[in-house]
Amino acid sequence: MKAVSILAELREVIAARELAWMLAAREIRVRYKHTVLGIGWALAVPLCLMLVFTFLFSRVARVSTGSLPYAVFVYLGLVPWQFHASVLTASARCLTENRNLVTKVYFAREALPLSVVFSALADFAVAALVLVVLMAWYAVVPGWGLLLVPLVLAVQVALSIGLAFLFSAGNLLYRDVQYLLQVLVLVWMFASSVVYPIPRTGNLAWLAWLNPMTPILDAYRGLIVGGETWFKPEFGVAALVSLVLMVFGWRWFRGVEGKFGELA
Amino acid sequence: MTAPAVEFDAVSKRFHKGARISTLAGLVLGAPRRWLARKNESGLLPGEFYALSEVTFALQAGESLGILGPNGSGKSTVLKLLFRILRPDAGQVRAKGRVGGLIELGAGFHPYLSGRENVFINGAILGMTRAQVRQRYDSIVEFAGIAEFMDMPVKDYSSGMYARLAFAIAAHADPDVLLVDEVLAVGDATFQLKCYDWMARMRKSGRAVVAVSHDLYAMAASSRCLYLNAGKPVLLGEPRAVIDRYLQDLSLGQRDPVPETSFVKTESGQARAVIERVEFLGDDGQQLRALEHGAELTIRFHFQANAAVESPMFGLTLFHDDARIPLSSPRHYLFQAFSGEAFKGMTLRGKGVVEVSVKDVRLPVGSYRAKTYLYERDGVTPIFLQDGATRIEVKRPGWSDGRALLDHRQTWGMPVMAEGSQP
Repeated sequence: MKAVSILAELREVIAARELAWMLAAREIRVRYKHTVLGIGWALAVPLCLMLVFTFLFSRVARVSTGSLPYAVFVYLGLVPWQFHASVLTASARCLTENRNLVTKVYFAREALPLSVVFSALADFAVAALVLVVLMAWYAVVPGWGLLLVPLVLAVQVALSIGLAFLFSAGNLLYRDVQYLLQVLVLVWMFASSVVYPIPRTGNLAWLAWLNPMTPILDAYRGLIVGGETWFKPEFGVAALVSLVLMVFGWRWFRGVEGKFGELA
Repeated sequence: MTAPAVEFDAVSKRFHKGARISTLAGLVLGAPRRWLARKNESGLLPGEFYALSEVTFALQAGESLGILGPNGSGKSTVLKLLFRILRPDAGQVRAKGRVGGLIELGAGFHPYLSGRENVFINGAILGMTRAQVRQRYDSIVEFAGIAEFMDMPVKDYSSGMYARLAFAIAAHADPDVLLVDEVLAVGDATFQLKCYDWMARMRKSGRAVVAVSHDLYAMAASSRCLYLNAGKPVLLGEPRAVIDRYLQDLSLGQRDPVPETSFVKTESGQARAVIERVEFLGDDGQQLRALEHGAELTIRFHFQANAAVESPMFGLTLFHDDARIPLSSPRHYLFQAFSGEAFKGMTLRGKGVVEVSVKDVRLPVGSYRAKTYLYERDGVTPIFLQDGATRIEVKRPGWSDGRALLDHRQTWGMPVMAEGSQP
């Protein structure tokens, strides 16, 4: 009985993916309407951040990134990180901002956090295009590992979906979540290998095991520019954590979903 | 007997009056109070109330249920429970097939996007696939009747255009159970007729319809009505009986406990004259509480004159409780009896009665309140005036579903027998 009802719910979520895409398309269209740069903002933001961090960590303070130019290193970190960070902040608000939908119409509520992930994914795709230009500029030759990038992306998407479920519903229960997240995003960024590599030895080595973002970011870098072995045991842990988080996040979201109509 | 399309089984829903805990600070600071709080005998915590209690009904496919009741009686809560926006605290809500609604038209419309873009998004929200929307797009635009505005952002739509487009999308979502919540108040008369027509067709094609409306004439077309008051089911059954009960309660609630009275005083401070009460009598001399269509009526005024009143003029005016009814009458009454010069030259003193008889009373169905007044000679202001002390109902005649102002009873016959026919 229980298994049957979970399957029915899963079917409902799968049926809602089209709605999630449409909501994401609406979000993107509205986000860049009346702007001069339009979708170009999806490029401009990580590019500006790249310039800032390149100045900071190759002029002001030196960070060693081996043979890889720092600009490429940091851009490879910033693009997936932007995806992660925008899912975190936008998911917290997706149910409260759409309260006119949540309190008036029934649809599979998962469509809203999923649409957040999808629209962040679109920005991610645009920003990734610049990477091609950047790598040509620095004459970085990608390896065959490039073909495995979708696998890493899949792990990151799973992680995003799980967190989007948790934070969207969490913020409906306690509006503190959206403010806590602002802090969390900043701390998490500096605890991950976004703008500098996280050491795998020494007394901070445990950070890479605990935080799934570090192995994910390192895997992107390893696969795209080659050089070091991309697969580290930490990545396996990160993949497992992401998968568990996605399933757990969804079940919890479903569990509190009945209250959405009253809480939004 | 097939399973019902919609079923409410002893459904209750609690709401909290104050703010719910939605910050961590509220969770922590409110904790001691919540631990100490005890449920009362009806299972409520302090500050909670029942938005619905023990509501039960079942509806077969092709049937429609009209829910009526005053504001805040839980009508919309029933719809929200059916729509799965809310979950019941007790009891079971079951609906067979897809539940769709005209609950909040245009929920999810984005002001900056064009009508066309919004059709696709709103269609998806209402459960249509992209292919289905594409297939029904032309029909949606035609139903809404705003083909030339489909590329305009909806923020520039008039409220009527907005509602028409929203309704057109909802109408094409093709649900098995249709919920309608007071949405037909928007749009012009032509569009409203189109909507009623569409709802009737939905019912005929085997959908179950649950509608909430204050328009009792629309409710009368349902297969059954449910009358809710403060979340409790008062009556469920045949529409006319339920509507009559509702109107009766309404007029009871509206009855002013202290009627408005004003009078001219004598030097000793008492009223010069009062109309103590008014009676409505039938042709058999019995007092009436309700009037039949076309009835013969005698109105009897009981007066008490404490000082002499020269050439008195008695009057009574009836006002319909539904303020919309006297659509063209500038003074908002539908019936007046006025004695004019009938008692000219007469001096009124002491206790007594005057009567007026009225033939063939034809008034719109409903309940009325009476205003009575007494003038002296051709005085401009009445020496006695009372509003709301007397009430009377006008019953719906058995042969009419309408408001019955005209007698349209008919006699049919065949003046020349057609060949082969038999009388």
